[in-house]
Amino acid sequence: MLSGVVALLLVLGATAAVFPDYLRLLRPSVLSQLDPQVVRLVNELPGVDKQNKEIIGRLFAHGGLGHAKEGADGVMRVDVRAPSGEFIWKPAILVMPRPGELEVELFNDDPHVHHAAILPSNGDKQYLTLPIHSRGTARVTLDGPGYYWFGCPVGNHVGRGMLGLILVKGDVPAEARLDRPPQPRP
Amino acid sequence: MGLTHRRVPVRLSLCLLLAAMVLAACSDDRPEYPLGDQGRDLGSLSGAAGGAPPVAAAVTFDRLLKARSEPHNWLTYYGAYDGQRYSSLDQINTRNVKDLRPAWTFQFGQFGLHASEGTYSFEAAPIVVDGVMYVSAWDGWVFAANAETGQELWRYKHEIPIDTPLCCGNVNRGVAVANGKVFLATQNAHLVALDATTGRPVWKEVFGDVRAGESVTLAPLVVKNLVVVGTSGAEFGILGHIDAYDLESGRREWRRYNIPKAGEPGGDTWPAKGEARNRGGGSAWITGTYDPELDLMYWGTGNPSPDFDGSVRPGANLYTSSVVAIDPDDGAMRWHYQWTPHDLWDYDGNNENILIDLDGRKLLAHFDKNGYFFVLDRTDGRLVRVAPFVERLDWGEIDASGKVTPKKIPTKEGVDICPGPAGGKEWTHAAYSPRTRLLYVPIIETCANFRVEPVEFKEGLPYYGGEATTHPDHWGAVRAFDPATGREVWEWKNDKPMVASVLATGGDLVFAGEPTGEFNAYDARTGQLLWQHQTGSGHHSNPVSYAVNGKQYIAVPTGWGGWVKGFAPGTLGVPRGDALVVFALP
Repeated sequence: MLSGVVALLLVLGATAAVFPDYLRLLRPSVLSQLDPQVVRLVNELPGVDKQNKEIIGRLFAHGGLGHAKEGADGVMRVDVRAPSGEFIWKPAILVMPRPGELEVELFNDDPHVHHAAILPSNGDKQYLTLPIHSRGTARVTLDGPGYYWFGCPVGNHVGRGMLGLILVKGDVPAEARLDRPPQPRP
Repeated sequence: MGLTHRRVPVRLSLCLLLAAMVLAACSDDRPEYPLGDQGRDLGSLSGAAGGAPPVAAAVTFDRLLKARSEPHNWLTYYGAYDGQRYSSLDQINTRNVKDLRPAWTFQFGQFGLHASEGTYSFEAAPIVVDGVMYVSAWDGWVFAANAETGQELWRYKHEIPIDTPLCCGNVNRGVAVANGKVFLATQNAHLVALDATTGRPVWKEVFGDVRAGESVTLAPLVVKNLVVVGTSGAEFGILGHIDAYDLESGRREWRRYNIPKAGEPGGDTWPAKGEARNRGGGSAWITGTYDPELDLMYWGTGNPSPDFDGSVRPGANLYTSSVVAIDPDDGAMRWHYQWTPHDLWDYDGNNENILIDLDGRKLLAHFDKNGYFFVLDRTDGRLVRVAPFVERLDWGEIDASGKVTPKKIPTKEGVDICPGPAGGKEWTHAAYSPRTRLLYVPIIETCANFRVEPVEFKEGLPYYGGEATTHPDHWGAVRAFDPATGREVWEWKNDKPMVASVLATGGDLVFAGEPTGEFNAYDARTGQLLWQHQTGSGHHSNPVSYAVNGKQYIAVPTGWGGWVKGFAPGTLGVPRGDALVVFALP
């Protein structure tokens, strides 16, 4: 009996060590927020998260979530990879906690094809090439809450799945609202 | 074999499994590479020159006051403060316009997603200063170009969130230029001052809250040391306002809300209790005009919110669907005139206010979406004349004294009313020629089904209180009116609504584009169609005229879109585009 409990704990511990995201998803606070329609998408059509299964490519922005971390210099930073044969940005949804400067480090791990990136930024779109097994960086400025797109402008890589989003949280400056009466959000 | 004998391999195997998994987790399957490319401006990979000559540095308030004295330039949104959209250039005239042909074309088709993919539109009025053109497109783009050759000089992109709340389209109507700067008001309500030689930002201020449904579509207006802007978003229950910033420092000098607070003049036109006035709309999404002698700006204000359900806002709902005369120094209102009291039809009041001096009187001419042509004394806002300017009009009557009697209002069941919510004339502007003393007006003849559907206000969500569905059995015209009498002088009929601004020139020509791509020149005195060119996409913009090295040009942005469902649903399938086409004589 004792050995069974120990074995179970060992398995759970190993799972937690290797697959922490799975365990995190089991939290009641997460389960209560799951949208059944979204869950059904990947449960009933898991192939939409693979290249050339249910559809030809892979659904947009299905490379997961990445939170940009703010450095001591106030610049937010995040790494993004193009994994081998997946035609996906990983993560595909980048979160900036507030408007500001974001430095994106991009890695092309894909031996099948070279990639490139176009990223949104005030001033002008930022462009860089990502040859096979290469790394590049871009610094972008996004000064308002909302979401923006980035993508790979090579061939139809965007259509195959290499379209990502940058989510900018936060509010506009207080002086923009000035003395407008407060109002409730949905 | 006993139990003890079996336990050992189980434990051992579990430990081995754990060790293998931990090792796998710790192993590095994400190789690093030496740094390769670094992000660069996309425009650096183009033919853009990278800079513009410093012509804008000499654009002062004094020059803006006398803009019409330098007809080779188009210095403000309307060409001059009076809003007449008139160029005195006469090289292209009724005799030779038949020879007009494209001189150059500028296009800016862009990568990727943007807000309002289905409803973007190229609506700007290009500004031209001594051979340099500054033009904004949708989605935060601004370009400087050589006005003689079309070569791109620099570009600026302001990133607009894809999820910006926009009632009607991803559009921008232009920039303002003064004191070496180019001023852009972005869809997400940022005011950006750019260095006119490089396109790089000098200062930036945020003057609206996108989360509250505020957006911006207008071209800023420079008056004195101020750059003046206003918000869009009355379809989201915003509290509309006009803001003025010091054009050098970017410091806000004043803000005026277009809905009065309780106790202020006009405040009693809203319910005393509740939040209606705080969600009251009254946006300011079209550039004002300015009379320097009276030192008054004339700004139109938009519909009250919710658009179609007036039960939550009994009263006249000042100062919505009105013109307000504002002192530029402090934003104080000197007088107002409400075109549509207690607006229930989304008729707004934003359409341009054209300043005309006739027989010693200082007048203001306004073609409202509600289908009536108003002439006011612009010194005090008194009504001089009012008359209908469209055939399809049954929402209400306005008598000679200005008394408004609504005849048909939106109902729960739905009712057909004319004009539709885009009006008998949309925001696209009329023109006035001081040579012919006629006003030239793009006309929409439509009706729509108006329906009330009460809805609770929630910040950032549409707050229409119903809907209006425009019928596709519409038509249009360009009509010429005499402001001295209010009478129609000529008409050129079209089988589609006319929804692009009109340009009048000293060559006695009137230019206007069609939804189906044709760009037309008419005899300003007779309305006879003299010339036509198919540009390939519909017109919903502001053509301008200018000259470089003695040669006159006509420039027109084309790129069909915007709120087509509202103003011309029968043209929703017209090809999209993004071209600025510039014409000249051979």
